[in-house]
Order: sequence, then structure tokens, then C-alpha cells
Amino acid sequence: MLTLLEQIDKGTLWRIPGGIHPPEHKSLSNQSEIARLPLADHYLIPVPGVGENCTLAVKVGDAVTKGQALTMGEGFRHLPVHAPVSGKVIAIEERASNHASALPVLTCVIENDHQEQWTDSVHGPLSPEQVAEMDSDTIIRRIQAAGIAGLGGAAFPTHIKLKPVSDIELLIINGVECEPYISSDDRLMQEACDEIVRGIAIIHQLLNPKRIIVAIEDNKPKAIEQMEHALNRSQLPNHCARVNKIPTLYPSGGEKQLIQILTGQEVPSGAIPANLGILVQNVGTAYSIAQAVYRNMPLIERVVTLTGQNVAKPGNYWVPIGTPVEHLLEVAQFRGDTNAPVIIGGPMMGYMLPDVAAPITKGTNCVLMPSEQEVAPPSPEQPCIRCGECAQACPAQLLPQQLFWHAKAQEYDKAASYNLRDCIECGCCSYVCPSDIPLVEYYRVAKSALRQEAEEKKQAELAKQRFDSRTLRLEQEKRAREEKAKQAAERRKAQMTGSDKDAVAAAMARIKAKKAADEQSSTGSTTDKPQDKVAAAIARAKAKKAAQKGDATTATETAEQQTSTPRATSADNGDSATLSQKEKVAAAIARAKAKKAAQNAPESGDTSQTPAQETEANAPLSQKEKVAAAIARAKAKKAAQASASDEQVTPSESQTNIQNGARDGAKASSPETIKKAKIAAAVAKAKANKAAQASAGDEQVAPSESQTNIQNGAQDGSQDGDKTSTPEAIKKAKIAAAVAKAKAKKAAQVSASDEQAAPSESQTNIQNGAQDRAQDDGNASSPEAIKKAKIAAAVAKAKAKKAAQASASDEQVAPSESQTNNQDGALDGAQDGDKTSPPEAIKKAKIAAAVAKAKAKKLAKAQAETPNNEHKD
Amino acid sequence: MSQVIIAIILLGLLALAFGALLGYAAEKFKVEGDPIIDQAEALLPQTQCGQCGYPGCRPYAEAIANGEKINKCPPGGTATMEKLAELMGVDPEPLTASAETQVKKVAFIREAECIGCTKCIQACPVDAILGTGKQMHTVITDYCTGCDLCVEPCPVDCIDMIPVAETLQNWSWQLNAIPVVNISEESKC
Repeated sequence: MLTLLEQIDKGTLWRIPGGIHPPEHKSLSNQSEIARLPLADHYLIPVPGVGENCTLAVKVGDAVTKGQALTMGEGFRHLPVHAPVSGKVIAIEERASNHASALPVLTCVIENDHQEQWTDSVHGPLSPEQVAEMDSDTIIRRIQAAGIAGLGGAAFPTHIKLKPVSDIELLIINGVECEPYISSDDRLMQEACDEIVRGIAIIHQLLNPKRIIVAIEDNKPKAIEQMEHALNRSQLPNHCARVNKIPTLYPSGGEKQLIQILTGQEVPSGAIPANLGILVQNVGTAYSIAQAVYRNMPLIERVVTLTGQNVAKPGNYWVPIGTPVEHLLEVAQFRGDTNAPVIIGGPMMGYMLPDVAAPITKGTNCVLMPSEQEVAPPSPEQPCIRCGECAQACPAQLLPQQLFWHAKAQEYDKAASYNLRDCIECGCCSYVCPSDIPLVEYYRVAKSALRQEAEEKKQAELAKQRFDSRTLRLEQEKRAREEKAKQAAERRKAQMTGSDKDAVAAAMARIKAKKAADEQSSTGSTTDKPQDKVAAAIARAKAKKAAQKGDATTATETAEQQTSTPRATSADNGDSATLSQKEKVAAAIARAKAKKAAQNAPESGDTSQTPAQETEANAPLSQKEKVAAAIARAKAKKAAQASASDEQVTPSESQTNIQNGARDGAKASSPETIKKAKIAAAVAKAKANKAAQASAGDEQVAPSESQTNIQNGAQDGSQDGDKTSTPEAIKKAKIAAAVAKAKAKKAAQVSASDEQAAPSESQTNIQNGAQDRAQDDGNASSPEAIKKAKIAAAVAKAKAKKAAQASASDEQVAPSESQTNNQDGALDGAQDGDKTSPPEAIKKAKIAAAVAKAKAKKLAKAQAETPNNEHKD
Repeated sequence: MSQVIIAIILLGLLALAFGALLGYAAEKFKVEGDPIIDQAEALLPQTQCGQCGYPGCRPYAEAIANGEKINKCPPGGTATMEKLAELMGVDPEPLTASAETQVKKVAFIREAECIGCTKCIQACPVDAILGTGKQMHTVITDYCTGCDLCVEPCPVDCIDMIPVAETLQNWSWQLNAIPVVNISEESKC
């Protein structure tokens, strides 16, 4: 058993199934040498790859030289196109394509300037030694840059084919040219055999195949002779390359058929010859490779057979790629009318060109212009008689009648099951069909339908994938949203329960307060008292509602009601004689009240304070107080908000704050209220902030707003005082200090901007200062509070500075400010007095004195004229 | 009498044994989901257009598996209908839609008129529209299934459904034969 290579060396040939012997008509064109035709004025270079794997290298109006690349691309699959002539790019637009559809494709239109100016990169031929020294990459790059595509008709990029994945054992140079009429390869082999062999040598250098076969049909004896001589002349290794004369049979030139003839191997369905270690190249391609590697010459022209009985000068011509077919028809003296067929390719596999404006492309080897005698108008199609001629003629061993049957019924998947995709569309079956059925046309329709179906399937898969991922994404987003909503709801719920508790606690507190009032009534207090308490509770509730509504008038009313309450209580105070342990608490309350009272009525302040202590002291303020404090806080907040907006309208609202503050003070007075006091401090902070903000905007309009600050401050002060009275209140004091700082800052900012406009603003500052002072004093009064006192002192300093700045500008305007200071002093004094009254508070008093001193100093600096000793009293 | 009892016991045991076997087999070889739904869905064109009255191709496939008519998919055309008929073992029925609804179209946004409302983006079942609030939108033609769902929500009616342009890639051969006449060579040349 001989090996394949031995059989090849022996020249063994195999037979392909089927095949036909159509009339050749080659003598029409193969009698003359390859000539040149006059150049056209315009050339059309399709650039279909633009936008896919390359970009245009030129733009409209650019001058181009002959051989200049028109596209640029990075990818390995990119196949550049070149200007076939020198001239100018006059348009880049859609023009009819050289395709059976003539659908317009993007085309570069070059106006020929007839200068034939070559681009610089093309050089004179290198010597074979220089080429032999080139490495594979350089050669491949040159071939790619030259834009060489398979010139046999398929126009597959050659550089890709020359970089196969598997080893190539056998190189076949296809010079068969089996199709009737066409003789371009025949003439090329006769005239440029040495150049072709040089191309073969380059491929040999690249791939190093074991054998090279130049296959030529036996109807081209001159070409066979020339090629044999050329191979003998070449430097290819001995016995490596040979010319195989193969019998004339259509379609021997088909790649798969040729392989079968030369090796007996069949290329499997769906595979490429490289899988068998075989590479097939057209002779024209080999010629172009030699041109590209030796001269760096791009593929800008090819041999085209112009033939048929409708042309006066049939023959082979060097035609620049991009030449419009109509120009060729003109210069070759086309004799047909406009309806006469122009076929691109041969009569068997070619297609009718619908638009002769289309250009010659790299794959166009023939333009056939047959007369009516050669190609008759299509005869009517007869029914298939199942004769089986087509099956015998089919070189691919398919069953054409079955394929036709299913294709006609549009059962394309059934046709596909009969291996429709292996049909090479050679046309043998149509040729032999006695019923004149255009079988190949049916197959083409079926093939494109299948291709479309596959495309749609791919699209559907893509759409499904995208739809699924979108659905997934939407679901995830929804879930995330729900999660968020759930969390928010939980948070809200937590807050809700807190306020609910407050409400319950408030109700309980009210009940307890009632009981306490009953107790009081039993201890012999006047009958007004319980009523007052109840009234106070009602008033509180009302105040809450009013505050929420933000109704200015209601707020005023409630304020009035509330105002009446402390007054009544103060009256009652005198009756209760017993001053128990609650005195401390009471003192704190008294402080707060005193402050407020001082603000409200500076004259009556001192007198009312002392009795007030006792009144509140009567109420056993236990856990209820806590609750009450919370309620008060909430109310105060609301009231503050309400007042912030309402102050401009009704100055009386500010009283509400005062009373709220009073309440706060009362609550805080219980010894267990330390925590609450903290909270209250925070609330107070918030209130102060809001008030400050509100006042910032409003001060210029209404001078009464400043009172808000004052009263807020009063509240804070009272709270602070309460805290300090309990020995554990150190922390709270710190907080209060911080709050005070923040307040002072804000107030300072406000005043800084407002001072010049409203003299009353300075009062705010001063009063803030006063509040702070009160706080400071309170802080200092606890024995452990020394550090805090320091901090407070620093804070106070800062505040005082600001106040001083404020007052400095205001003093000249309004002498009434000093009164405010006096009042503050009065408040402070009241507080101080309270603190000192318990025996443990002596030390604190000392510290407070020191703080006060510091403050006083600063104030003194600020208000040089006003004496500051008020603080001490 | 004892024979009867033996027979009953025997048959009862057999019934139990086979019952257990069948129960085991039902658990062991349980089929997850209905494969016919997947098969039907694979045949549908996945445009997710809802022209069948279902909110997508999968729901329609499920409905078909439950006995819904197979001729409600205009984008799939007659070919899809026939395949579904074959799959479901029912007779092919003419499509409910007219022929012109079967021309493959893609959405096109007249970008100058787009106000950037993102309504079409939300409507697109395959995320084929690119854009964001107050920015011009555009359709990624390669991803567009031509389902038409974006046209309705557009408040300025700037979306057109245009037929897909024919290119060399999607062009279909028509029956335009090149007949070859067997003339004798010597008589002509």
C-alpha cells in the first residue's frame, strides 16, 4: 500500500462523482495576450468592512496615490482596500455592489487624475535572497497590507489562510479553471509563470509543505508546459513541486473536488481543507503574493476575462479593481442592449449583474456578456420527473431532487437534513435537468432562508438572554426596594411605639397628678389647687394640639391659660407650710420660674419666686415626672416650631415657651430625673437651634422674636440648674455646656449679621449669655464639676466675647439693653441663691463665683460703661 | 374459602409492592417542570412583544402547553405556528395577524424630538434602548426585537417602527435563473 505522498509522486488521480462536460467556449478569450484597457475616469472601491473591523483612512476631497490604502484596521481579519489609480476621493457613499442583489454598499469613489502616481511604499523587486531572509511575520504582514484575497472567486483573505492552525502537508495551486468561457488563469499561467512560481516559493517558505501540486486541466496544454518549465527553473526543492494534469471535467476546480481528485480524500462536511493538512491557492493569488512580497505592491488589479458573443473585443485584460463594469462594457464594445445579460463569473456559477454600474471586485474573474443564442431566456419549468439525472451529476453526492422537493415546499429544515449546506451550487444538476428546473436557484433560496432562520434563532436567544437578565434585574431591584421599605417601616414602628409609650405615660401622669392634687386638697390646700392641676393638664394637651396645628391664636390662648396656672400655684404656695426634702427640687423649679417671671414681669419676680418653690414641692414627683418631662419636651419642641413661625405675628406666643420651660423645670426638679434632664438638654439644644434659625431670619422684622431665644435660654437654664442640684448631673452639665456653646455660636452668627439692623438683637446675645452663665453656675455647684466648670468658663468666654461685640455696636443705639442685662443678672442671682441654699453647695458657689468673675471681666471689657457686678448678686 | 383469602392477600401484597415501586419511581425519576413548555418557548421568537396577549414568550409557551391556540404569535409567523402545531400535535391554523405585521421591524427614535423621559427604556423588554433622564435616547438596533412596546409610552411620539434594511448579509435569493443553453461550440465560435 502506497502512502499518499508516494501516490502523489506517482501522479495518481482519483475520480470525483458526478460532474459534467459543458461546452467550454474558452477559445473566445484565450487566444490573445492579457491586454490593458483605457482607464476609467472613476473607480468605485467598496469599503464594506468600515464600521465593523476597520475605519476609513481617507475622507472626501483627499488626494490619493495609486496603491494607497483606503481603510485602516487593527484586527488580523482586516483586509485593506487600495486606490487603484491616483486621483481624488470625490465621494464616500452607497453605490450598487457587485452582487446578485446589487444592494448599495458604502463605496469610495475615486476620480482618476490619469497621473499614475504610485504610492511611496511600492519599490523595485527584491532579490530572491532578500525574500528568503524575511521571516514569516514580515511576509504575512506584507500580504495582509497588500489586501490579497483569494482570486479564484471566493475572495477569502489570503493572509488568514496562510496562517493555518494545523500543519500543511500538501499545497495545491489551483489552475484548473473548469468553468466555461473563463481563461484568465490560463493566460496568466502562460504569461507570468515565473512570477506565479515565485509566489509558490513564498508560500513554501511560509508553510513548508511536503508536496506542492500545481493542478491544471488538460485542456490548457500551453499553461501546463509553461508552468512545468517555470517549476524546473525555480529553486524549489527537487521532487517537491509538480504539475498535475487533470482531466477536464466540470467542476474539478472546486476546492473540495480538486482535493478529492488529487488525494482521494474528502473534506468532511463543515470542515476546511486545512483540517486535512491541505491548502489550496489560486494561481492568481500566488501571482499577487509574489507581487506583494517582492515589490510591496498592493492588490489593485487582476486579470479579468471579458467574453461572450455580445462583446466585440473578447479577451483577458488587466483590470484595476474598482473599475465600473459599464466602463468595461464600453471599452470592450458591448453590443447588447440594456436588457442583455451581463454575468459576473462563469455561466455555471456566476450571477446576473442587475446594475452595470457596479465595480469589478477582487473575486471577479470574468464578465460574461452572452448573446441570446448562447444564453436563451429561461424556458418554462417543467415538473420534476424523478429521472435522477441530477443525482448522478452532483459532485457532492447529494440528492438534488429531494432537496428540490423540500426547497420548493419551503420545508427548509427537511432540506437541511439532506445536507443542503454541502451543496457547492455548481449548477451541474440544473444543467442536466430535462425539466429545465433551476435547481440551484431553489437551493440558494433555501440556503438563504436557512441562514436567516439561524440568524433569527441567534437573535431570539440573545433577546431571551437579555429579557431574562432584565427580569432578574427588575426583581432584584424590587426586592431591594421592599427590603428598604421594610426597614424603614420597622424604624418607624420603633419610633411609633416610643411615642405611644409617651402618650400612655402622659395619661398615667395626668392621673397621678390628679391624685396628687387630691392629696394636696386633703392636706388643706385651697380648693383651687386640684382644679388648677387639671386645668394645667388640659392646657398642656391643648397646647400640644395648638402647637401641632401651628394655629397662632390657639397658642396664644393656651399660653394665657398656662400663664394663669403658675400664678395660681404661687398663690397656693403660701398655704403649704411644710418644706420637706423636695426643697432642692423646688429650688430648681423656682429658679426656672423666676427666670421666666423675671422676663415676663421683672418687678414681681423676686416676690413670687419663694412661694412658688413650696407649691411645686407639694407634688410628689416620682416616675410620672419623667413622663411629664418627655411630654413637656415634645410640647416645647412643637411650641418652639410654632412660635418660630408665629412670632412675627403674635408676640404673646413666646409666653408659651416660657411656660413650657416652667414645666420642664418642675419636672426636672425630682431627684430621679437626671436622665430626663439629659434628654431635656438635648431637646433644649434642638429648640434653641430652631429658635436661633427662626430668629435669624425674623429678627430684622420683629424685635419681639429675640424673646424666644431668651425664653429658650430660660428653659435651658432651668434644666441645667436642676441637673446641677443633683450630684450625679455632671455629665449632663457637660452636655448642657456643649449645647450652650452651640447656641452661643448660632446666636453670635445671627447677631453678627443683624446687629446693625435691629438693636434688639443684641439683647438676644446678652440673654443667651445670661442663660449660659446660669448653666455655668449650675455646673460649678456640683463638687465634681470643676473640670466642666473650666470648660464652661471657656465657653462662656467665647460667648461673652460675641456678646461684647454685639453689644459694642448696640450700646450707642439702645440704652435699654443694659436693662436686659440687669434682668439676666436677676435670674442668675435667683438661681445662684437656690443652689447655695443646700449645705453641700458651698464649694460650688465658690467655683461659680470664679466663673462669674471671668465672665464679668469679659463683659466689663465689652461694656465698659455698664457695671457688671450684677452677676454676683 | 382459604383459597379466596390467599388470593386476596396475594393480590393485596402485589398491589402494595407495585404501589411502592411506582411511588419510588415517581420520586426518583421526577421531571422538574414541563419540558413541553421549554420546547414551545424555544420555538417562539423571544420578541417578548405581548401580541399573543401574554406578558412574554414564556407565559405564552406555558399557555400553549395548557391548550392555548398556537396561532397567536405574529412575529414568529407561519413557520413558528407550524412548528408549534407539530410539537403540540394539533392542526395548523392560520395566523391571527395579517401579513404586514410580520415584516421584521426595529424601533427608531427621532433623536431631535426625544425629551429624555425614559418611558421607552422602561417599556423595552430586552434593554435595547440606551439613554437616561433628560438625555437623548437611542435604540441599539442589533438588540431590538421590534416588539413595538416602546411606541405607545412615548409622550412625544418620536419612535418609529421601520422595516429592517436589506443588506448583503440578510438578502435572500430570488428565483432568477441563469439558464445555460447547450449550443454546439463549433456552430457559434
